[in-house]
Amino acid sequence: MKQVGWIAGTSAAVLVAAGAITYAVAEDGGSDSAVPSAGSADAGFARDMAVHHQQAVEMSYIVRDRTKNEEVRRLAYDIAQTQANQRGMLLGWLDLWDLPKTTSDAPMTWMGMGDMASGKDGSLMPGMATNTDLKKLNTLSGKQAEILYLQLMTSHHQGGIHMAEGCVQKCTVGVEKNLAQGMVDAQQSEIKLMADMLKARGATARN
Amino acid sequence: MGSAKNSTSAQRKARIEEMRRAEASRERRNRILTIGASVVVVVGLVVGGVVLIQSQSDKDSSASDSKGSGHFVTGKDGVKTWKGTLGRTHVAKTVKYPMEPPVGGDHNQVWMNCNGDVYTKAINNMNAVHSLEHGAVWVTYNSKASDADVKALAEKVKKTPYTLMSPVEDQKDPIMLSAWAHQRTVKSASDPDVAKFFESYVQGKQTPEPGAACTNGLSQ
Repeated sequence: MKQVGWIAGTSAAVLVAAGAITYAVAEDGGSDSAVPSAGSADAGFARDMAVHHQQAVEMSYIVRDRTKNEEVRRLAYDIAQTQANQRGMLLGWLDLWDLPKTTSDAPMTWMGMGDMASGKDGSLMPGMATNTDLKKLNTLSGKQAEILYLQLMTSHHQGGIHMAEGCVQKCTVGVEKNLAQGMVDAQQSEIKLMADMLKARGATARN
Repeated sequence: MGSAKNSTSAQRKARIEEMRRAEASRERRNRILTIGASVVVVVGLVVGGVVLIQSQSDKDSSASDSKGSGHFVTGKDGVKTWKGTLGRTHVAKTVKYPMEPPVGGDHNQVWMNCNGDVYTKAINNMNAVHSLEHGAVWVTYNSKASDADVKALAEKVKKTPYTLMSPVEDQKDPIMLSAWAHQRTVKSASDPDVAKFFESYVQGKQTPEPGAACTNGLSQ
């Protein structure tokens, strides 16, 4: 009888375990680590950087339509591709965590800087261009478009680096922290490149 | 003594025989139990797996080949969900939608810009539906909505990528919010259901084309 009890106990345990695994897989899509909350740095960075990146993608597409210069078009292609892909990762993580893509909190509240951005004229976060800037970029062509793009993107990268550093400090999800550090490194190097490109065009960054 | 010895030996033999039989039957019973338990576990896993897969494919089943037929079902939270089909074909002709504002169906190939864009004149439904397909929430109002509400909603939309706003005079309530296959009425700009709807549906799970753009489409 002891053996019967043991078998029955084991079967019950196996069934419960199978049920628990099925439930867990069905509930959270197979993630086995703790899921960040909507107010966490992990969620906040994913939400805000997705918005910040989108404008860089948009600006890069605009300048590719406004100039034939190979060097600027290649830089713009690189930025658009990279940031569109990174944006997809950030939004995908929010999907996996079952968290909203938008919030009523001001941008960057998660890093204690909810009062940083004016939010006026489409410039929702530090470094973002205004709608007026983008409209102007759409009217310029050739060298003038290149200069404005390089200036706008330099400011955009500076704001982006600042926000990415917030995630490097506060994020708890390893892959996200690594992505943020990668953004800091890559954008710092691009700022140097853009400074040289501006200089070659007889211009400088805006600030 | 000899006979007693014999009888004891016979008894012992019989007892051993009996014990062997008992053990054999116990083993048989245990084997049956083990097989039975294994069968239960395997059947449980198979049934569980099938149910899981079916429940997932049920969620995914949505027709995408017709213009849109069905009806709204109102949830406990006041959000109306379209039950039926919503077409997703790009068409050049005018589409007549079975609801106003439309929450899906065949549409124009150009999406209305929905990067926090506020339109003060009516926009074409066929372009707006394409924005909903890209994951946008569309805020609409008619002349019964107060100026203060319209202003406050415009401010919120301008700060929220993947939303757009425009007047729709023939809608049934003063302020309505629409996403693909979902719609609700709100009382005012400060109604907490506005924030809730945004959080659920701005690039939400209902989005037929996640990742698609709200820029470089049509603007007013």
